[in-house]
Amino acid sequence: MNIKSTIGSRSSSGTAVEEVVLHRSRSALTKYLSRGGFYLFLSAIAITTLVPFIAMVLLAATPLGALNLPSLIPTSFTLDNFRQVFNGSNLLRWSFNSLVYSVVSVVLSLFLASLAGYAFAKKKFAGRDAMFWSFVAMLMVPGQLTIVPLFILVSQAGGIDTYWGLIAPTLANAQAVFLMRQFIKGIPDDLIEAAKLDGASEFHIYSRIIMPLSMPVLATLAIFIFLSHWNEFFWPLLVAQSDDMRTLTVGLATMQARQPSTGVIMAAATFTFLPTFIVFLALQRYLVQGISMTGLKG
Amino acid sequence: MVGSKQTYNLWWRRSQETRAAYLFVLPVFLLFVLFRFGPTAASFVLSFTSYEIGGEVTFLGFDNYRQLLGDPIFWTSLRVTVTYTAIALPLTTITALGLALMVSKAYCGVGLYRAIFFLPYVTSMVMTAIIWLWIYRPTDGGLLNSTLGVTGVEPVGWLLDKATVLPALAVMSVWKGFGYSMLIFVAGIQAIPVAYHEAAQIDGATPWQLFRHITLPLLKPVLFFVLVIETIASFQVFDAIYVMTSGGPARASFSLVYMLYNQGFVYFNFGYAVTIGVFLFIAIFVMTIVQRKVLESKET
Repeated sequence: MNIKSTIGSRSSSGTAVEEVVLHRSRSALTKYLSRGGFYLFLSAIAITTLVPFIAMVLLAATPLGALNLPSLIPTSFTLDNFRQVFNGSNLLRWSFNSLVYSVVSVVLSLFLASLAGYAFAKKKFAGRDAMFWSFVAMLMVPGQLTIVPLFILVSQAGGIDTYWGLIAPTLANAQAVFLMRQFIKGIPDDLIEAAKLDGASEFHIYSRIIMPLSMPVLATLAIFIFLSHWNEFFWPLLVAQSDDMRTLTVGLATMQARQPSTGVIMAAATFTFLPTFIVFLALQRYLVQGISMTGLKG
Repeated sequence: MVGSKQTYNLWWRRSQETRAAYLFVLPVFLLFVLFRFGPTAASFVLSFTSYEIGGEVTFLGFDNYRQLLGDPIFWTSLRVTVTYTAIALPLTTITALGLALMVSKAYCGVGLYRAIFFLPYVTSMVMTAIIWLWIYRPTDGGLLNSTLGVTGVEPVGWLLDKATVLPALAVMSVWKGFGYSMLIFVAGIQAIPVAYHEAAQIDGATPWQLFRHITLPLLKPVLFFVLVIETIASFQVFDAIYVMTSGGPARASFSLVYMLYNQGFVYFNFGYAVTIGVFLFIAIFVMTIVQRKVLESKET
């Protein structure tokens, strides 16, 4: 609009230069105003997005009734809620369980998925494509369809209240196999051929050539698998039945069901949030890449 | 003789490679058979049986399906799920698209906003539910009611009222989830060549025209992807309902997956629970196919 009117005025009258200057300063002003409005609007939404987090931390860190509403201005601080939650619940044990559940799943599923991904990408064998696409087809099957048979299977096999019962069913990860195969396909065959001529064994090629070159996709997958396990609720709810085997999400939900004081439950919530927040701060770039490039969903 | 030895060597190397390949896919294959293919097939079989905790399997034919279609609770839960999706889907999509248009600009500082909007997505639904239980609390210090109270609005029992429970849950899920779709939109917007917009701007197009005639048509595949992903996510709503409402009040938030959980793991009617799972699978499958068809017809 501005460009058009500026050009128009230049050709139409004798005071064109003046008008151009006028238009420029006016458009600079509107530009500043609209840029200001842009940041104001985004900031308002950003603050709204952050308010629940801020409220959570403040409620955890203040004694009952010491937080003014709706202004969220605290009148005093305390660590009592945190003390109470650590002494009165299994929070540390649940964190340990969540950590085992998430980390072991990440390590094992990445190891298995990269092995399979390498074979699918670089080897020829009968039934390869049929097998690969039948794995990928499992992405269409919602977890809720198989959760009943999985529960029957795992409970018949004695997997209730065990780490393997929690972890094993999550290792058949179609998304990880798919992404590994797509990525490894892009690794030049020459590298593999050269290693073969040097007499490298198959596993050697996998561990010394394929794995190091796959670091970007391994890192991205690791973050997503970690977060999805850390935040998973339905499966641990069914498998982790004793208090000692609960993951953080399940422990937090059972704690909430007992209607604790707001400060205590918020202290527990803050504590469960910390690891995800740290992962988020440190690895945000990989998270964003993973979503933008592959549509990974945690 | 030398020739046959070479052939032999080649054969040996090939078969060795094939064996290595099978060895590499074997663990994942076994895991898939045990935890994906098997349970998927088993769930279809189970839906034709009654299987209870003792391990007695009785073949029922289509009885579970007949019972499901005649079960008023099933229709309630379907209505709840569809209503919830109908509220959450447009809210999430519009919020995500609107903000994506803003944070995809090359202004300084947009990266920070992008990160803030994305933060709720990495949290667990259980944690989110606990915070929002407090926000929606009807009395003594719920954030929403005390904020509205400043303007003189009477306190509302957001999660206790049949009329407000689904909108309240949907708004919470928008807060938690829009950041993901926003990032997908940002990637889509940034893939549009800048020259298109510049050319249109020189021709005097308004921002709305730019959006309506350039950005939106080129974003269509991304938009459909987001719509499908968000529909599926909404159809599977469970965690928040488990923590916040237990399906209440009076089954006003009794979603399909919550019904599946209730039948399967409260009453241990495994056969019936699996039938709900089969329905969910078919519903999601049909929605995905419809999306693909719509997308294909738009591309040609």
